[in-house]
Amino acid sequence: MDNLIFHIDVNSAFLSWEAVYRLHIRGETRDLRDIPSAVAGDVKKRHGIILARSTPAKKYGVRTGDTINDALKLCPDLVMVDPHYDLYEACSEAFMEILREFSPCVEQYSVDEAFCDMTGTVGLYGSAVVAATLMKDKIYKELGFTVNVGVSTNKILAKMASDFKKPNLVHTLFPEEIESKMWRLPVEELFFVGHATKRKLHNLGIRTIGELARTDLDILRSHLKKHGEVIYSFANGIDMSVVADEAPPNKGYGNSTTIAFDVDDGSTAKMVLLSLAEKVCTRLRADSAMARVVAVSIVDTYFRYSSHQMQLFSPSNITNEIHKVSCKLFDQLWDGSPIRQLGVHTSKIVRWSTEKQINLFDMNRYEKQAKLDIAVDTIREKYGDDSIIRAIFLDGPIYHMSGGISKEKHRPNYNDGIR
Amino acid sequence: MIIESIRKDIVMLHMPVDVVATFNVQGNIKPNYIRLEDENRILQTYKIENIIFCREDKYAGIPTILFCCNIIRGGQVQMINIKYHVRTHQWVLANEG
Repeated sequence: MDNLIFHIDVNSAFLSWEAVYRLHIRGETRDLRDIPSAVAGDVKKRHGIILARSTPAKKYGVRTGDTINDALKLCPDLVMVDPHYDLYEACSEAFMEILREFSPCVEQYSVDEAFCDMTGTVGLYGSAVVAATLMKDKIYKELGFTVNVGVSTNKILAKMASDFKKPNLVHTLFPEEIESKMWRLPVEELFFVGHATKRKLHNLGIRTIGELARTDLDILRSHLKKHGEVIYSFANGIDMSVVADEAPPNKGYGNSTTIAFDVDDGSTAKMVLLSLAEKVCTRLRADSAMARVVAVSIVDTYFRYSSHQMQLFSPSNITNEIHKVSCKLFDQLWDGSPIRQLGVHTSKIVRWSTEKQINLFDMNRYEKQAKLDIAVDTIREKYGDDSIIRAIFLDGPIYHMSGGISKEKHRPNYNDGIR
Repeated sequence: MIIESIRKDIVMLHMPVDVVATFNVQGNIKPNYIRLEDENRILQTYKIENIIFCREDKYAGIPTILFCCNIIRGGQVQMINIKYHVRTHQWVLANEG
């Protein structure tokens, strides 16, 4: 028997969720989904891009990732609302809970999409399309937002199907339908084909998914290496991966932050690195993980990206140590141009490693620092992140733990009513 | 650009209210009294005469329990909808069914 895989994708997730929240929890009468609207970052903090937009806003040509200024030029009446990450988490959780009622094998692919292996449970509902429609309607009835469901025999085809026509629809893309439904689409619609790959394929005269599927594999291999094989099999609807209901362990931990002002002195930049190292190391320690490789990335005011990495003498998750290494990397990397964004990333993760290579010259500092870090983590867990901060961040412009979702994005400030 | 704070099209939001409720041994919740402003903007306590129906919702992943009930206000029976927020333990006066 063939496998049966669903891909479920929330229609403009952040915006839908905010709309449902405003309608049913706050009691607003206007539905954001019916007017040109968008979830957008804070211009003043230079986080000013569109994170999600409604279908009416899409008609004006507003795209996710546009800057707020560009979006307003396209659609002057655009209603913009703040991001609300606490809500997204609650919605995502409730969404996944409903999927798990349909099948025990659910892979959360991102905050707003999931794969569901229905091979064993479709019999409970009759046919695949009936099950998918039931799933979609149940989510709408209980949670108030719409989803698209793609139905097929493997993950790539299901994902392609859920992307067809939106919103609130079920589409099938079984192997026998590939030719009629998928091959006529432009090649950039294919999963894993981004801007760069699209350009290369266009240069080869490949413009549709069908043309890609019929291209000689050796040609693709010579131009795109391994990636050519991947997209070739995707274009032919071949995907062997299984729905993994358990998330694989993190391969790396990193955080970056766009600073509200351009940084042109090393000491401020190093403070930002410290706040990033604090965040990254807290996450590493929470997962009992240590990193062997540390990397620092810089985006300057001209949007030029650069990064630099090095291997540690032994794996670590100690904030001070990671910060020290980051500063060293930063000094080697930075050309002095004003900095817009900084990042600290770690990789080559070691888990559950209790042994630590003691360095003759470190004396017993590591043990002390590790204990200190654990004490700080425990205090923060109990009394909140701000209960204990390094004195250097007191009254400064930099928050002591940068990166990830900043505090104000968790919950917007509504002026009245319930929050 | 429409600035959110000066929007006038939102007529009335769900309003947080004080409620006296009983919780029975099975965990069922029954609101008994509710405090609302009267015409003169003075807080008055109204007895909840009867509950017409209640329903559990989970819109936007937020669990709430909606109670549709009757109170007597100014000598007349008035139907109101109140919602209990399970996570935050707040009661709100809802403007929807």
